[in-house]
Amino acid sequence: MKPLLGTLYLLGILAPEGLGYDGSLAQTRRGVLEETVSPWRNLDTYSYTKYHPMEEIYQWMVQITEKYTGVVTQHFLGMTYETRPMYYLKISQPSANYKKIIWMDCGIHAREWIAPAFCQWFVKEILQNYKDNPRIGRLLRNLDFYVLPVLNIDGYIYTWTTDRLWRKSRSSHNNGTCFGTDLNRNFNVAWCSIGASKDCHHLTFCGTGPVSEPETKAVSSFVESKKESIVCFLTMHSYGQLILTPYGYTKNKSSNHEELIQVGQKAANALKKKHGTNYRVGSSADILYTTSGSSRDWARDIGIPFSYTFELRDNGTYGFILPASQIQATCEETMEAVLSVLDDVYEKYWDSDSAVKMTLTAMVLGLLVSFMSVL
Amino acid sequence: MLPRRQRPPASGPWGPRPAVLLLAPLLLALQGVAAAPAGAGGPEDSPGLQDAEFPSGLLQQAARAALHFFNFRAGSPSALRVLAAVLEGRATVNPKKGCQVDLVFTTDHYNPEVGEEHLGKCSARVFFRNQKPRPAINVTCTRLIEKNKRQEEDYLLYKHMKQLKTPLDVISIPDSHGHIDPSLRPIWDLAFLGSSYVMWEKTTQFLHYYMAQISSVNQWKTSDDAIDFDYTVLLHEFSTQEIIPCRIHLVWYPGKPLKVNYHCQELQTPEEASGTEEGSAVAPTELNNF
Repeated sequence: MKPLLGTLYLLGILAPEGLGYDGSLAQTRRGVLEETVSPWRNLDTYSYTKYHPMEEIYQWMVQITEKYTGVVTQHFLGMTYETRPMYYLKISQPSANYKKIIWMDCGIHAREWIAPAFCQWFVKEILQNYKDNPRIGRLLRNLDFYVLPVLNIDGYIYTWTTDRLWRKSRSSHNNGTCFGTDLNRNFNVAWCSIGASKDCHHLTFCGTGPVSEPETKAVSSFVESKKESIVCFLTMHSYGQLILTPYGYTKNKSSNHEELIQVGQKAANALKKKHGTNYRVGSSADILYTTSGSSRDWARDIGIPFSYTFELRDNGTYGFILPASQIQATCEETMEAVLSVLDDVYEKYWDSDSAVKMTLTAMVLGLLVSFMSVL
Repeated sequence: MLPRRQRPPASGPWGPRPAVLLLAPLLLALQGVAAAPAGAGGPEDSPGLQDAEFPSGLLQQAARAALHFFNFRAGSPSALRVLAAVLEGRATVNPKKGCQVDLVFTTDHYNPEVGEEHLGKCSARVFFRNQKPRPAINVTCTRLIEKNKRQEEDYLLYKHMKQLKTPLDVISIPDSHGHIDPSLRPIWDLAFLGSSYVMWEKTTQFLHYYMAQISSVNQWKTSDDAIDFDYTVLLHEFSTQEIIPCRIHLVWYPGKPLKVNYHCQELQTPEEASGTEEGSAVAPTELNNF
């Protein structure tokens, strides 16, 4: 009996690995870790400190959704120019509460690999910690997270197959003589007025018209449809170590500019505490350069109050080709910054203290008014 | 240099009235002062620059240009510096001639593997000529590494480089994942040194560059004991976001002035003729030890 059980036990351990074609088995067999795309990668062995090709990110989204059913759902957003599906993840804890939405997108520029890496890290952190971590748990009580891990999928794939430093999408122009639109110049806000080019050869090509690109259309249609609920729009880029507020298309400031700077500065301070990295905070036109048609400016102008562009590490030493060895530190510090913003957003709308104060004030005023009318 | 594209002038700094701001000559008196570790010149920078006439980006621009020039002039691949933070700065704008920036900034060691926090301090005067690259630069930095130690490190690097097997079996440095094999690290450092010259020469008040990747090593040999290095580098220009391939040829021997020739491509556009830029230089030394 015992030897039989022992044999069955052994089989139980070996069988899943023996049957599944996954990375761990490949490592054992060949003795060398090869970076092959494995159709059956186990989520437990998924490395968040490596860069992943698009096929693996698609798989990861499916597996994350399966592992955390009830909290995560995957949704179709639209098709890219090269007819690839765009998916976002919705992280939402079921409750009777009316939720507001936090939107985060990564990889609108293909070569900024650290950004999609951060989106994946962010999702992982939220899901692994929302039950035990009160800070994250609190956020999920009233907020839903919508995360688009790779916006410019065609471009991202192109950086893996052909040109590591490609930036734009892969749409064809001028009878196939030039390719790609800068998706972050294609949104319908002061389109192509400044800081963008009408020349399809240029890397800041704004497209053939506002929202001419299917990727831009997919994102803006969706965000527009949810704009009443979205309180925070975060778009992740690299490099430069900046937290940018609106606007790029003008030096004028948004109505809540002071608040955005304050929240942004607090986030930069939280980020710096983690690994000492310096981030600067300011409007795009002030501290970076002028741009028109950016998603951040567009989001602000359709009424989303907290709209930021994050430019992640580094400062130019490696630039876009940030070593994978820096993924962890970058993601950890960025996580602190994003959580800081989310805390401020949460406290603005749901802080129980301020809610009570507002109710009391309203009551007192109401009483005063009735007294006045009696006199 | 053919301007690639008309840069839309920002409203304000390049306005019709000459803007006059404070000059701080005593900034230059900081030469040779031992660096107290710079106060965390962090994200709250551009103190003292309350004037809305020009963006705080100009100070960063000037600091970068000054550092490229400093690195080139130092000619030492083991002592490369990167910008940490701008501490303070003043600028005078003359719409006809250009603009002069006086500033103080902190620097960090280029090689991130080095554990110690060795913040250095530099003061510089940078003059951007209108629409023209190659800003005139006067820069002094606190001496961080003993000169002897620096020469020793350079020599060790040199010996390491001489042992590299040629032809070098590399396609690009770093690879797509940002990895540089430790044995090839000196190549990256030396390439960055040569690129510093090119990047300084190409910088204007609007355009600034970073070295993105070495796309090919064309030749690596020792001639007359010096390292003779011919390579193609991809420079990233920030405001246009373009990637500029430059072919660079440099000759280096520790302690001797760096010799650089280069030839950069400008991207073809329908409206403009393609242009190429060439330049060459021999770095001046502080010691004149020819």
